[in-house]
Amino acid sequence: MKPAGFDYAVPRTVPETLDALADTARDIKVLAGGQSLILEMHLQRIQPDLVVDINRVTELDRLSVNDGTVEVGALIRHGAFESPQAVPGPLGTLFSRAVVNIAHPPIRVRGTMVGSLAWAHPASEWCAIATALDADILLQGPDGTRQVPASDWFRGPLRTARRPGELITSVRFPLLGADSGVGFIEHRRTHFCFAQVAVAAALTVRGRVIDEARIGLVNCADRPVRAHAAAQALTGADVGSLGTDHRLPDGHPFLRAGRIAAEQDAAPLAEPYADLEYRRHAIAVLVGRTLRQAAEGVPQ
Amino acid sequence: MGRWTRREDERLLTGRGRYVADMAVPGCLDAVFVRSDVAHGVLRTVDCSAARRVAGVAEVWSATDLSELPACRQAAADLQDLPPVPHTLLARLSTEEAVVGREWPVLVKDRVRYPGEAVAVVVGEDRYRAEDGAAEVTFEIEALPAVVKPAAAAEDSVRLFEGLSNVAFQGVAGEPMEESVWQGAAAVVEARYRQQLLMPTPMECRTILAVPEGDRLTVWCGHQMPHRLRRELATLLGWSLDRIRVVVPDTGGAFGSKSAAFPEFVAVVFLALTLRRPVRWIEDRLESMLTATRGRGQDQRVRLAADADGHLLAYELTIDADVGAYPHLGVGLPMQTAWMAPGPYRTPRVHATVRSVLTNTMVTYPYRGAGRPEATIALERSMDALARRLRIDPVELRRRNFIPPESFPYRTPTGREYDSGDYAAALDLALETLGYADWRAEQARRRGDSGALPLGIGLSCYVERSGGEPGGLHEFAAVEAHEDGTVIARCGAAPSGQGHETTFPALVAKTLGVDEARVRLVEGDTDELPEGLGSFASRSAQVAGAALQHACGLLIDEARGCAARLWGVPVAEVAWSDGAVSPASGGSAMGLAELVKVTGPLRVDDRFESGMGFPFGAHAAVVEVDPELGTVQVLRVVAVDDCGVVLNPGVVAGQAFGSAVQGIGQALYEGVPFDENGVPQLANGLLDYLVPTATEIPPITVKDTCTPSPSTPLGAKGAGESGCIGTPAAIVNAVADALQLADADLLQMPLTPDVVWRAARAPKLRESA
Repeated sequence: MKPAGFDYAVPRTVPETLDALADTARDIKVLAGGQSLILEMHLQRIQPDLVVDINRVTELDRLSVNDGTVEVGALIRHGAFESPQAVPGPLGTLFSRAVVNIAHPPIRVRGTMVGSLAWAHPASEWCAIATALDADILLQGPDGTRQVPASDWFRGPLRTARRPGELITSVRFPLLGADSGVGFIEHRRTHFCFAQVAVAAALTVRGRVIDEARIGLVNCADRPVRAHAAAQALTGADVGSLGTDHRLPDGHPFLRAGRIAAEQDAAPLAEPYADLEYRRHAIAVLVGRTLRQAAEGVPQ
Repeated sequence: MGRWTRREDERLLTGRGRYVADMAVPGCLDAVFVRSDVAHGVLRTVDCSAARRVAGVAEVWSATDLSELPACRQAAADLQDLPPVPHTLLARLSTEEAVVGREWPVLVKDRVRYPGEAVAVVVGEDRYRAEDGAAEVTFEIEALPAVVKPAAAAEDSVRLFEGLSNVAFQGVAGEPMEESVWQGAAAVVEARYRQQLLMPTPMECRTILAVPEGDRLTVWCGHQMPHRLRRELATLLGWSLDRIRVVVPDTGGAFGSKSAAFPEFVAVVFLALTLRRPVRWIEDRLESMLTATRGRGQDQRVRLAADADGHLLAYELTIDADVGAYPHLGVGLPMQTAWMAPGPYRTPRVHATVRSVLTNTMVTYPYRGAGRPEATIALERSMDALARRLRIDPVELRRRNFIPPESFPYRTPTGREYDSGDYAAALDLALETLGYADWRAEQARRRGDSGALPLGIGLSCYVERSGGEPGGLHEFAAVEAHEDGTVIARCGAAPSGQGHETTFPALVAKTLGVDEARVRLVEGDTDELPEGLGSFASRSAQVAGAALQHACGLLIDEARGCAARLWGVPVAEVAWSDGAVSPASGGSAMGLAELVKVTGPLRVDDRFESGMGFPFGAHAAVVEVDPELGTVQVLRVVAVDDCGVVLNPGVVAGQAFGSAVQGIGQALYEGVPFDENGVPQLANGLLDYLVPTATEIPPITVKDTCTPSPSTPLGAKGAGESGCIGTPAAIVNAVADALQLADADLLQMPLTPDVVWRAARAPKLRESA
């Protein structure tokens, strides 16, 4: 478990970083928190020619709120979102519920949200949230800056729309309105391991009628999934009574949405200890529960 | 000792421990093994030529290269080829018959028999360069079908060794029974249990550093039995024992998995002598996942019969054991399960049979509990099933069958002689500590509330064996008193985290009546101790402690004799108390240090033998099950253990807590999944093999009862394995109780969410006929 040899560059600015990334003939990896990169290098599943360490590019260490969006720079660590106040409104609540599922506190001090989006692991919490909430990924490269919507960003396991020579500088989320309710629930075998399934949800409700549902699925396909079919089935549905049991009342629209998400939106793969039958079942259950948590959070 | 519970804690918890990997030896080379990525196959070619050209790589060998080496320079003249891995007869873990015709080569010669088996070894200036070299070694293996399940392997349609059956050992305990025993019983429970393969997972994986010095060799190794390692290496090399020194520095856990001479150890020693340079191997986690010894690995069938009042009539246990690819280390280990099959009950007829089957997996070997968890889980799960069948409370069923305290020593139908016990007392304390009646009331309330999550209560009563098997129940100890008041205690046990540095000096100080701070313990160095056995089978207090106490007694005798000669009186007229001799007739006492100033250093040593101990206990667990997802939330664990007389309550409680956590690991999380080619799916290390982490550990209450052992002078029994033995069945029984399963076979460990979800959908007890 030792990495193969590699070159190492430590730029101080974004232009210096872009210079370091410019030789597209080489296999170059960007190092921020190193949460996955360092492990994969030790396993020698990744053997880059050059590692570009951006930790001293201070302009990337920025979290800013303006015009109804929050922009998260490439050096903002996971741990920054443990407080629900870090980001205004229900989005801050959602982030804080999700982030405690990411590894352990020491890792959250190093790992970054943008790093997760760059790595694009199907079990990443941030990737599913970005997909569900229409985030934009902002990049700089040899041809200038561009932004890519999350819906077009993820191309498969560990594959994204990033082009050679490009640096992700930040990710931008639209803030959620104060009338939104959010939910995030993760299901896994121990705290240490990847999610078997996790679900992120944001609901807006008028009266008791669902105006809009946005649902992101973690580890339910080869990339993060936005559960469009389930969301569509919920639009205009009556939240009705949620009851107090651990199970939703029979026939509740959230149960139906869960089944639709599992059967139509998700494309899970079998894993040890979770075959397809169980995975689809768990997705349906978790979607229902997360929607319920979101509905319970909608201001009355 | 201030803020530290144990003497060694300040060093170990502030990063000042010194492990094998911390030893800085100039010119040391790091060894890295190139490992098979298939489970079973014929090795056709190994090409090391590209690896030899990698910068920083010193040498690369396959088995073929090594056999072509000229005779070792300066080493024994007959050391031309890598010697094979030794087998062990200790504790009847292996047998001569089992290894005949089944050589375990250090590097694969022609047949790969388990995934991760080494096909080549690279030594480099450091581990980075050696790994770079290893990446350049190419090899071809013609894959053969792999067998990983013992019953399938026993069919011999695929043989691991040509011309020999995969069944490498068969054994029996107790007398067979006629069918009428079962036909005449009011209730017979039949079940199948899988005791999955587990990995011991110490924090520090295996380590060895071999340093040739003149005509001697010093071996630094994280090891439980340094004298055994010395003996096995000396035998392999054809050397006398005194040419090898084995030293065990700080060791980060062993749990049974560090007591053999593994293939890598043999290779490192051979290479150090061949190259005349220090060579070390520091196993990393991924290697450990593939090639460290495994524990458990049994497929069991049971039959348990009782009369209408719940009195047990007969118990039959049939074991197909998965012992891995070579029979050298653990082919006889499942006999521990057979011998301990009766548990704490006075069942008149018990019959246990063992079939140990070779499979294409790394070798099975003792892992904390070593055969007793398998016995306890099979019996205690069956007891709960029987209680459901007879509609008797599981507590009551156990009480009706416990061997009563007045029956000891008790000889079991399998030939064990239990030393002492009060099994009902342990169960009573567990129930009281848990609040058993309150939890049953809560369970009843929830069963009446369709919106509540089901709750289950599980019990597990166990009796186990500590100290070792006959032939391995002795230990060596020496005590010497110096002029400056220092007492040096030497003992053949080698610790890997058990707290000997705290417990043993306290014992010596108390026995002699001297200041604890002046007692220093020396262990784990074969140059310091002429003989020794080690730390295994929970024997430290029971066996090594007894040896130290015995040596202290000899020292007192010696001191009294010296004083008698000094004073010109008969020995009978010299008294001993509080670390001093005094004339029995009265007069001033003379402290040990003072005496030594006059007489010269006092030193005594001896080998001392104890009897086997049979610790026991009762564990209880409360779980809440989410039947929709299959998740199990452990709300409470109570572990009541009885290890006889406790020397250090903090150390014993730590052993109980830590082993209970490992027991929870077996029940809920740990397992080795294989792909269709027989290769473990563990490429992501501990992300794939899940051990309980701080987040998963429930509230665990540890308590004890004390029933002294009559078979060892201290009255102490073993304390190191209780939770691995007692806790798993309590957890599984609690889940079965929550779900009210008609067919308990549906719950096979680990109880992962998918397993529990499937079981939760199956017919309930009340629905079945």
